[in-house]
Amino acid sequence: MLDTPLALIAEITHRCPLHCVYCSNPLQMVSPPSELSTREWETVFEQGAKLGMLHVHLSGGEPLAREDLTQLVSCAHGCGLYTNLITSGIGLSERRWDELVAAGLDHIQLSFQDSREAGANWIAGTRAHAVKLENALMIRRSGVAFTINIVVHRQNVDHLEEMIALAESLQPERLEIAHVQYYGWAIKNREGLLPSRTQVLESLEKISAAQRRLLGTMQIDAVIPDYYARFPKACMGGWGRRQLLIDPCGTVLPCHAASVIPGLQFENVRDHSLEWIWCESASFQKFRGEDWMAEPCRSCDRRIQDFGGCRCQAFMITGDATATDPVCSLAPAHGLIEQQLLRVNSIASPGKPAIEQEEFWSYRSQPK
Amino acid sequence: MHLGDFSRPRLAAGCRWAGEGENRMLVFPEGALRLQGTARAILERCDGSRTFVQIVQELETAYSGSDAAKVRQDAIAFLERLQQKRLVDF
Repeated sequence: MLDTPLALIAEITHRCPLHCVYCSNPLQMVSPPSELSTREWETVFEQGAKLGMLHVHLSGGEPLAREDLTQLVSCAHGCGLYTNLITSGIGLSERRWDELVAAGLDHIQLSFQDSREAGANWIAGTRAHAVKLENALMIRRSGVAFTINIVVHRQNVDHLEEMIALAESLQPERLEIAHVQYYGWAIKNREGLLPSRTQVLESLEKISAAQRRLLGTMQIDAVIPDYYARFPKACMGGWGRRQLLIDPCGTVLPCHAASVIPGLQFENVRDHSLEWIWCESASFQKFRGEDWMAEPCRSCDRRIQDFGGCRCQAFMITGDATATDPVCSLAPAHGLIEQQLLRVNSIASPGKPAIEQEEFWSYRSQPK
Repeated sequence: MHLGDFSRPRLAAGCRWAGEGENRMLVFPEGALRLQGTARAILERCDGSRTFVQIVQELETAYSGSDAAKVRQDAIAFLERLQQKRLVDF
């Protein structure tokens, strides 16, 4: 029997005041005039709740760039959905925060790019760090459930302990330490972001030491870099199995990156019901279950745990969306990942000067 | 953190109940738990006003015939585990 989706990632806009070099938004962004209206999003939330969804993750771009955010939170909350705001914090004022809380916001996830201001502002391509610190204090004072998210990579992971200390000082219930995943803008900047093996191993040790030390004070969740894993991640809990994502103009996708896969027609909430798209549309059925799998996935015991890994990564690296995720050590195309890692690990000093070379980086642009 | 007899456990910020009857779930920032039996009975009593002792007494009444010492031990382990995940405060 088909499971109902548990969570909706609502990318309500691709507009963002930040330009992070690892942004997970697609390279082709949705233009502001084609964004769904307030009423259209409200219909989506009503349909989602009826389908049995529990969470709505309001994301972007920067969700605060939408003036109707409070109204959207209020509607989702009214439908019984758990509302989570995933934000850079830019655009949050004391008044707006109070309104969001009053509208029923359950949780906020605030991103930091680094513990060091210069590095943070460099990654974001704008002076955001000081504003984030101010906003973190305001959020904590309100008592609303609070997670800090820090993305780590080759350029900042060496001072991970300093970043954990920053998070500790801001007293969230949770800290998410996420190694960059190579989609969207991150794959354009992979050369400067992919950490060395030593950096990865050291970071994992530092994370588990902090998890032990802060047990019961600050819950630390870690997203490990799958390029260094033996087996792939169960991307999104499986294609069309647990979650769905709706982009700013209403296109319904199984994940952030799925639009890179050619030949798939993704349906729009303006044309079809969410239930039909989830249950019946060709794109959601494409990689559901096991029929699409090739060897070695087809006969592998792990296929029920990781579902063959990520379809988008398989396509981006091998050109074949039905291939085993190449990060898997059993994948026929695993050599492509090994080549990449060999190159990264043969650079003696891990890419430090790259930060200074602006022409080296592709900053996330603005939707037009 | 250790749970004391007079601690008053409560759901942490960002954790709440959703759904009804058999579908009632504890929802929190990145997930949800479907709880059954004593686990659900314990957590539904964690309202910040009952003490741990009161919660255990109510459970003993509701589940008469069960081993009181074991009910207590299990409840401590359960609530301390949820506190470590920042789902319960006391």
